[in-house]
Amino acid sequence: METLCGADFAQALTAGFRCLERYRDTINALNVYPVPDGDTGTNMLLTMRAGIPQDAPAPDAAVGDVAARLADGAFWEARGNSGVILSQFFKGIAQGLVGREVCAPADLTAAFQAATDAAYRAVGNPVEGTMLTVIRCAAESLEKEPQPGAAADIVAHWKTALAAAQIALDNTPDLLPRLKEAGVVDAGGMGIVAILGGAYAHLAGQDIEQLDLGFPAAAGDPAQFTIAAVESDFLDASTEAQWGYCTQFLIQGESLDLEQVRSDLAQTADSLVIVGDEQVIRVHLHIADPGSALTYGVSLGELSQIKIDNMNLQNQDWAAGHQAARPASSGPPPAGLALVAVAPGDGLVQLFRDSGCAAVVSGGQTMNPSVAQLVNAAAASGGREVILLPNNKNVAITATQAAERENNDQQLYVIPTRTVAQGVAAVLAFNAQLPAAANLQAMQSAVAAVVSIEVTRAVRDTTLDGVAVAEGDYMGLVEGDLAVVQDTPEAALLSALAGVGLTDDHIVTIYRGSDAAPEQAELIARQIEEQTTGIQVDLVYGGQPHYPYFAAVE
Amino acid sequence: MSIRIVTDSTADLPADLVQELNISIVPSNVVIDDVNYRDGIDLTPDEFYQRLTAGPRLPTTSQPSVGAFQAVYQGLLEQGHDIVSLHVSGKLSGTVNSAVQAKAALGDPNIAIIDSNLASIALALVVVKAAHAARQSDSYEEVAEQARLTVGQTGVFFFVDTLEYLQKGGRIGKAQAFVGSLLHVKPILTLQDGEVHPLERQRNRERAIRRLVDLTRERAPVQQIAVSYSTEPAAAADLRGRLTDLLPPEQIITSRFGPAIGTYVGPGALGLAYTAAG
Repeated sequence: METLCGADFAQALTAGFRCLERYRDTINALNVYPVPDGDTGTNMLLTMRAGIPQDAPAPDAAVGDVAARLADGAFWEARGNSGVILSQFFKGIAQGLVGREVCAPADLTAAFQAATDAAYRAVGNPVEGTMLTVIRCAAESLEKEPQPGAAADIVAHWKTALAAAQIALDNTPDLLPRLKEAGVVDAGGMGIVAILGGAYAHLAGQDIEQLDLGFPAAAGDPAQFTIAAVESDFLDASTEAQWGYCTQFLIQGESLDLEQVRSDLAQTADSLVIVGDEQVIRVHLHIADPGSALTYGVSLGELSQIKIDNMNLQNQDWAAGHQAARPASSGPPPAGLALVAVAPGDGLVQLFRDSGCAAVVSGGQTMNPSVAQLVNAAAASGGREVILLPNNKNVAITATQAAERENNDQQLYVIPTRTVAQGVAAVLAFNAQLPAAANLQAMQSAVAAVVSIEVTRAVRDTTLDGVAVAEGDYMGLVEGDLAVVQDTPEAALLSALAGVGLTDDHIVTIYRGSDAAPEQAELIARQIEEQTTGIQVDLVYGGQPHYPYFAAVE
Repeated sequence: MSIRIVTDSTADLPADLVQELNISIVPSNVVIDDVNYRDGIDLTPDEFYQRLTAGPRLPTTSQPSVGAFQAVYQGLLEQGHDIVSLHVSGKLSGTVNSAVQAKAALGDPNIAIIDSNLASIALALVVVKAAHAARQSDSYEEVAEQARLTVGQTGVFFFVDTLEYLQKGGRIGKAQAFVGSLLHVKPILTLQDGEVHPLERQRNRERAIRRLVDLTRERAPVQQIAVSYSTEPAAAADLRGRLTDLLPPEQIITSRFGPAIGTYVGPGALGLAYTAAG
């Protein structure tokens, strides 16, 4: 085969996607830190899924168009570091194939080169030994291949790239000591190999199920299954936004009860964003029957700025080969400066909302929201300028992607908060009366003044920074790095706090997770107060999963 | 022709300064359980705060009557004085309206009425400065002009224990954005364009006090400072002690939020006003 037509390329991508799906659990199990987190395999799968054609493309579809659709869908659904890098990889592929009817070997070389450039640009600080290296090595192998005119075979060309990617993947532990210490290869890199491998198998006429990429297709780690269960809930949650009617309106009335409206509407609607005060409430929701929401609204006051979009039609458009599902367009004309945060757990969602966030996206370490979810929340917030608080290191890059999309109606800024503790410090420094620049400065200073502690349970045995960690141990992370290992979450928290060095001038805020007992948390708060006379300890219910405690020292 | 300064009770001026500088105060009204009290006359701050926290219903305030202004103005005019009348922000109270109507009712005598856009100790600083200027001038218009200048140099920072009183009293202004937090933050507020504006949120009293001091330092050099409290004199004394590098302690005015202002700031509030130098 000398060239790929659009249909070939689409089928190859679909095969790559299927292969990624097959290896998802294996990839998920490869996290370096034995913490429950936004699994790489799931993130890459969700990212890619949005760009995969639903129906077989027309036989005469241009390869450039197929690639553009892939890139566009992946951009909006990108989540997590690996998802964002993958989406940029696809963006580069699309740039390399722009205007091409078919893909010749030279085009593939150029596309991989562009994809490498785009992927490296996606991260502020590229690290070798990651999926970036795997992508780059695949691209470089193609440049060394015979140029067109010689034996130009696109399938052989693809095989060359796959082989180079596999070698690069095997070498990742040599480039990145923490991989070697943990005894794993890079998870994102494995995802790239799976996609390239699946596509190659299709082009070479092989069965994906028979494909041997040199690693097992299913992980035997039982700890992963709990996480997988959470993930599948999240998968459901992230797909349910795709049906019904995106409905937005303003209610103007007297003595409106925001919480009541929220709980009433939550019974029949999804993706609720309810903001406002006693006089005016802005409602954004996804609902099967928009009429019922309007009837409810009008029972409370005057309605205005009503906007209803049929998302089913949007999806049909998408399936029909138009652009991938875009975030629902913004409703009422935006004004002012708004804050949008990502938070895990009902307590933290409430805390961020209550402290002045116009919209809060539920998510975090184990549930990385997509670019589209962040952009939707920003649109629903109604701000002309919006500051995003990702509050997790694996969401920060997604927020940056969201901020970089083109939108003339709304300017997005990101404070790259890596923890909930940083996010709370930032939101308390927010003042909507001040311009965005002044807020960004004040919020960044506030973030710099807080030390973040996270306590979680090890999901497998490993060695980290020379410290042996056994499955079931509780790890205390300080600023994201492993600091202590203890038998109980309370001991881990106390010992991590001791490491920070508390004085009577400090304020310690403890966010209790859904797994931590209230009495235990209360006990530990009193203990800290007794150990350091004069210190202020605030205990707040966070409700976050997997992390019995988050804490902030300010 | 001598000049006298008139203000209203929301200026929270300490009694010794009122006496020393010959300032006339027109009292606002505070209504508790349907009984009207003249601010600073019929009700002491201690009694007021006790009832504020104990009572089921929040007190309300009303501006001084036109008659109350007329009586004060008339007394001073009959003694041969011109008047500069300095008052609480028109966006917080209708006091200036009463003053303007009283002046008109008296046939438009030599009274300069100024809406300070300020309240409480910030207004007090403008009043004190004007009173000093009045001693050295024989033109009430000149003193009024001086007062307008001082208004532009004067600001206030304060924090409250809870925004509940400002909110329920309908004076919360733009600080509405700070209402509601599961964390017990101390909101630092200011007066801007005559209204309450939010500045920032601190996590405890100590940090809030530090910010009051830092915010004032950013305005240095200053020529006047006043500190005020609602229920905690020790906190005001502590705050004053932290400002001695800006002004000698004996020059720092210590005041107390009276019933009219106390209705809105509530117990536990602490404030600092300054007049920048130059």
